[in-house]
Amino acid sequence: MKKLLLAAAALMALSGAANAQAIRIGTEAAYAPWNFLDDAGKPAGFDVDVGTDLCKRAGLECTFVANEWDTIIPNLVAGNYDAIIAAMSITDERRQTIDFSEPYYPPDPSRFVTNAGVNLDFGALKGAKIGVQSGTIQAAYAEANLKDGNTLQSYATYDQAMADLAAGNLDTVLADGPYLDPIVAASNGAIVLAGPEVSIGEGYGIGLRKGDTELKSKLDAALEASKADGTLDALIAKWFPGKGPFYKK
Amino acid sequence: MEWFLGPLVGDIEMLAKPALFNIYFAAASIPIGFVGAVLLALGKASRNRLLSRLCSGYIYVFRGSPFFIQLFMFYSVALALNIGVWKPLGIDWLVLHPLFLGPAILALNTAAYAAEIFYGALLTVPKGEVEAARAFGMSRGQQFRSVIWPNLIRIAWPAYTNEVVFLFHATALVYFTLPVIDDQKDLMNRAGQLFQKDYNAFLHFSVAALYFLVISLVIFYVFGLIYRRMTRHMPHQRAIRFKPRWLG
Amino acid sequence: MIDLLPQWLREGLSEDVLFWLGYLTNGKHLAWYASVRFTLFAAVAGAAVALAMGLLGATLRNSRLLPVRLIGAGYTNMTRGIPDVLFFIFFPLAFEQTVEWVMSRSLCSAEEIATAVLWPPCPAANIHFDTFQYLLLASVSLGIVYGAFAANVIFGAMHSVAPGQIEAARAFGMSDRQVNWRIRIRQMWIYALPGLSNVWMLLIKSTSLLSLLQITDIVRWANVLGSPNFLPTAGLVHPDWRWQYYLVLLVFYIILTFLSEKGFTALRRRVGRGMITVED
Repeated sequence: MKKLLLAAAALMALSGAANAQAIRIGTEAAYAPWNFLDDAGKPAGFDVDVGTDLCKRAGLECTFVANEWDTIIPNLVAGNYDAIIAAMSITDERRQTIDFSEPYYPPDPSRFVTNAGVNLDFGALKGAKIGVQSGTIQAAYAEANLKDGNTLQSYATYDQAMADLAAGNLDTVLADGPYLDPIVAASNGAIVLAGPEVSIGEGYGIGLRKGDTELKSKLDAALEASKADGTLDALIAKWFPGKGPFYKK
Repeated sequence: MEWFLGPLVGDIEMLAKPALFNIYFAAASIPIGFVGAVLLALGKASRNRLLSRLCSGYIYVFRGSPFFIQLFMFYSVALALNIGVWKPLGIDWLVLHPLFLGPAILALNTAAYAAEIFYGALLTVPKGEVEAARAFGMSRGQQFRSVIWPNLIRIAWPAYTNEVVFLFHATALVYFTLPVIDDQKDLMNRAGQLFQKDYNAFLHFSVAALYFLVISLVIFYVFGLIYRRMTRHMPHQRAIRFKPRWLG
Repeated sequence: MIDLLPQWLREGLSEDVLFWLGYLTNGKHLAWYASVRFTLFAAVAGAAVALAMGLLGATLRNSRLLPVRLIGAGYTNMTRGIPDVLFFIFFPLAFEQTVEWVMSRSLCSAEEIATAVLWPPCPAANIHFDTFQYLLLASVSLGIVYGAFAANVIFGAMHSVAPGQIEAARAFGMSDRQVNWRIRIRQMWIYALPGLSNVWMLLIKSTSLLSLLQITDIVRWANVLGSPNFLPTAGLVHPDWRWQYYLVLLVFYIILTFLSEKGFTALRRRVGRGMITVED
């Protein structure tokens, strides 16, 4: 019986072991403009561009895999892919389970958004329905600081939280500033930034398995090169008009 | 044995409160679903062609599509109607809350399945009894109350018990689709959350399965007692006793 | 995909229609339509496994040995207590873990196993399933769950075969196995079909749960396509269209149910040839 299981396992492992040189990169594919599915159904966005650039520099063959945000870290640890490039903020709590590369985007404060005409006292928020995506730094922040007297609603993606906000089911949404800025701009005044800036996280980094020092060093070296010759800044300018340059001196 | 019992008891404690959510969803949707089912079954059997077609159509749609998709769709529709309908009426805080919407969609779904069961039972109500009631000069309402209803509920009860258990199993899907408010989690979500932390699939999902099993058995037992009370006027078959054949 | 239309048609249709045709046939939507193959594969493969498990379970329950009968009864009663969702999510995870455990016993060193905090104990024992393998696992778990339903149905049907036929077969001197195979199983299908058609309907509907196993199926795509998009760079800017996409899924499943009903009626007529049954 054990031999049979082992044979079955070996067969399955062989079918997956053919591309030993390639690495798989997990991304959420539901967080424009960092990562989304383009009209052809393939992962695209700032994260994908950065990942492609780094892989080219490091001489790796990369494929991008879409994975839900909820299970993105556990599936990295379980080995479904080898790296996460998904607008993931570097935090101490996440450092306990995974390693991070050097940041590829500097820390940008999170912001609140509301529908136009809604006035909330953000200094002493009470009785408000706050939307966040579960498992994000904003969810952790809201849980720690805004829970008393308010209702916290967690969604699978930020797009769904914004849908609820637009439909009037939420009073406010707390999310990354760079994610909200283009939405506010494109909404023609229907959705507005409100409240204070909230600084959480230490910038966005590439998530790696603990102890995967080889991949980390390759990616860090490629990241250094990309920062030095201005490619990273160019990508930031392409996807986030008006931001940066952050890295080229 | 301690290495086994410790985590087991710990899991049982951790999954107790989430189990209450599943029980709440089932308990909240059963009464409305039941009433709705009876109305639908009567509607389907009515002689009014339009009413009969409408009820048949409702039953067909809700039985022919997955409950998972019904959950997604009705939440989405309720959201789309938020600005236009719920907010002006002032009930948007209620309608879009998972603790209301979950049982509501469950009730819509179970009404269709139970209606099919009640419709089948309605067709097997002894015609002779109905005719006798009519001969006695009973009005339609009296006929229903004295003859049709008691027979209907007695014939349909075993199948309805099955449906209630399936309803309870279906509550596991509610929190996969509706947004999570504060920290409310049901059995499946909590078991999944515990699994993501330590990858012990066998422990966490077995304890969740245990909760489902125990509560299902309780439902079977309670409904069985009700069935026995409903059939107390009927002759009971003596249990056939025979020597058990252990081998060969 | 619009380029596949002939020129005269493209000129004849209005701009709006062309736009929608183009949008509904862009890569994302085509991927959505193509993912139907996952649903259909899971339904057919799951049904095949369910039928096999059903026959197995019913045979176990008919056995002369009490322990075997208990196993059969335990299996067929599983559906009364455990939600299919739970088993559906549990089985692939448990299978993956069992395989990794067996691999770790031979591929990992003893201290790696002793000191490991997370799972699996060492990277060599890690196994990664791709979509097709997850689909297979999903089909098998569907088959196991609905096999329990099917076993109940087949068990009842086996016992509905007219006793006279069994006695006549025995009188002819057929062995138990011959009686089972030639008389019981051949004749029970007409009694089993109504119940089995019910099981098939339940099975089709539970294929909507494939997205819970991280398979990008029609439900996942409907979520992705329907979620509001605010950025022109990410595609068409549109509000929340989810309920329209779910409605399409609803209609799709109702059509599947409708076709299955028709199919089973035809099957019942064929299997019931020459048998005296009540035509329902």
